[in-house]
Amino acid sequence: MITVTDLTRTFQSGDSTVTAVDNVSLTVPDGRFASIIGKSGSGKSTLLSLLGALDTPTSGSIEIAGRDITRLSEHALITYRRKQIGFVFQGYNLIPNLTALENVMLPMSFNGVRGNERKIRAAALLDQVGIEGVKQQRKPGRLSGGEQQRVAIARALANRPSLILADEPTGNLDSETGKMIFDLLHNLARSQKTTIIVVTHDLSIAGRTDESFRLQDGKLVTL
Amino acid sequence: MGMNTLTLGLRNAFRNTVRTVSLMIILGISIGLCLVMLIAHQAVAQKIRDIKASVGNTITVMPAGFSDFSQANNALTTAQLDGVKTLPHVASVTESLTDRLSTIGATDSFPFGRGGSSTATTSLKSPVTLDDSGKTGRLFIRGGGQLPADFSLPVSILGTTDPAHMDSAALTLSSGAALDGAKDSNTALVSTAMAGKNNLKVGSTFTAYNTKLTVAGIFTSASRAGDGTVIVPLPALQRLTGQSGAVDNAVVTADSLDNLANVTSAIKQKLGSNADVTSAQDAADSTVGSLENVATISLLSLIGALIAGSVIILLTMVMIVRERRREIGILKAIGGSNARVVLQFMCEAVTLTVAGAVVGVLIGVAGGNPVTNMLVQGAASSSTSAAAGMGRPAGIGAGIGRFGGGQSFAARPTTGGFLQRNGNSLANSAHNISANIGWNVLIYGLGAAVVIALIGSALAGWMIARIKPYEVMRAE
Repeated sequence: MITVTDLTRTFQSGDSTVTAVDNVSLTVPDGRFASIIGKSGSGKSTLLSLLGALDTPTSGSIEIAGRDITRLSEHALITYRRKQIGFVFQGYNLIPNLTALENVMLPMSFNGVRGNERKIRAAALLDQVGIEGVKQQRKPGRLSGGEQQRVAIARALANRPSLILADEPTGNLDSETGKMIFDLLHNLARSQKTTIIVVTHDLSIAGRTDESFRLQDGKLVTL
Repeated sequence: MGMNTLTLGLRNAFRNTVRTVSLMIILGISIGLCLVMLIAHQAVAQKIRDIKASVGNTITVMPAGFSDFSQANNALTTAQLDGVKTLPHVASVTESLTDRLSTIGATDSFPFGRGGSSTATTSLKSPVTLDDSGKTGRLFIRGGGQLPADFSLPVSILGTTDPAHMDSAALTLSSGAALDGAKDSNTALVSTAMAGKNNLKVGSTFTAYNTKLTVAGIFTSASRAGDGTVIVPLPALQRLTGQSGAVDNAVVTADSLDNLANVTSAIKQKLGSNADVTSAQDAADSTVGSLENVATISLLSLIGALIAGSVIILLTMVMIVRERRREIGILKAIGGSNARVVLQFMCEAVTLTVAGAVVGVLIGVAGGNPVTNMLVQGAASSSTSAAAGMGRPAGIGAGIGRFGGGQSFAARPTTGGFLQRNGNSLANSAHNISANIGWNVLIYGLGAAVVIALIGSALAGWMIARIKPYEVMRAE
């Protein structure tokens, strides 16, 4: 269960203060596929980075599995991200000089998984997302956008996280590939009981998730 | 396929081939320069130690203002030197007197050297001959002209309390027996060349100062100066020249190198203005003075090259970190700790610098000796004149000028010549430095690379630590 209570994040922009996330409270039960929709600049990505412990809120709390992650130390946050969170980014954000397989192995190496086990598991994850055979040995530059996003999803799954946060995962993809990626995430949520929160501005995607939240000027508004 | 932090860093180092190769060359030059300077520094420092260790613990005492160009001197006396013998830490005192003899029947119209006015003669002919055949300035004769057909160089005669040595080197007798330097006897040692020229053997006699002297022994000589020298006991020469008790040169040996300075100043105090007192250490100091400059220059250059290398890698790593800001954010977002990411980049920096070090070692090995010699030769002129200045001016005589334009003909076989020759040999050996290039160069090269990498990546590490992972979420 993810419980967000009165979450606020403000940024200093010159002399003025910008409130990117404004007093947001929401709850997502375990294993659910939720979406956060909103226009560009509505604070979606900021909310996602707060949930993923990439950023710390100005005020409020985020309880995940009963633990308030806003109170964790820097070191504990790194461990939390490594073990509990998988990220999928709009721009894929794969490491360009590593192969697809190595990109998936990378978070496992941060988590202390042994070499051979890393390799076997990474290959299995890539198979699962549909990157098979020689494509696993390709570097991101030689994969299509859809393929790169699959690799990114496999990477997000590498350390068996309890929460996957996806920031516009289909934003750079054509609608057909976008749908495939969406289905992939959806299936994962079902099959692996992983909570998935997707940030998107695509209302058609939002309509097919278990839960949907809309952000407007940093505030949560009812759909 | 390893995937740990170190291999990631290593692979990243070769991510941009053009940049990596450029950096290898630039760092290679920088590290090469470090090594060249290190090699030079070591070679010069070793040389300084060698020279200081080899100068020995002798002090040369000469009558004040004494030189080949000046005949107006008050000789030192045996009595004065007896006072020196009793000084603390004096191990021994070797006294000597020198003179020059004209060959009977030969033309010797040139006022050679200090003894140029000497009317003393000998039946001996000098085995040393001058080559005036070329007429190309090998001989400088005042007023021009050529040497007379019956010209013969004067014969040097050395009266010494230590006939077993000449110029501080032990004499080797090829036949006959050693002399007693303290006993006034009409006996002499001649060189093999002198014996050959004058058909002498042990027991033969020759005339000097209108006195018959007997050849007691024949020694082998390695120098032309030695060839043309006759050695007699000091009291004998004092008697023959009518200079009772006179000494024109003394070599005092201190009991240890540590006491050299003290003994030197004690002698100066004892003899006052009567004598010029010079320790071997003085000559060595003037010689190593310029070498010490070289050592300092090479040390400063080493530090400069290290700093330059560090700045190059620092700027490169800052550039790399800036352009991979997003990637660093990703690494942190997917669970990489600051320490791991910093370590990965440091490993990249070390890989780049080690690659540069390989180039640098090649440069160091190739350039070590030439640069060392270049630096040392650059300092040569000052040190040569300094060292030569410690001894007596060379040249056979004031009137005729210098044969061979300088020091090619050693003037006199006195121990006073020791300093000059020794000074020059110190200077020459000081400039003849061979840098020792071995495995240590490789180790130093790698060490320099690691030091450069660590210093250079420190700022990058700080920048990496400051990058917030949420930056990866922005500016897609």
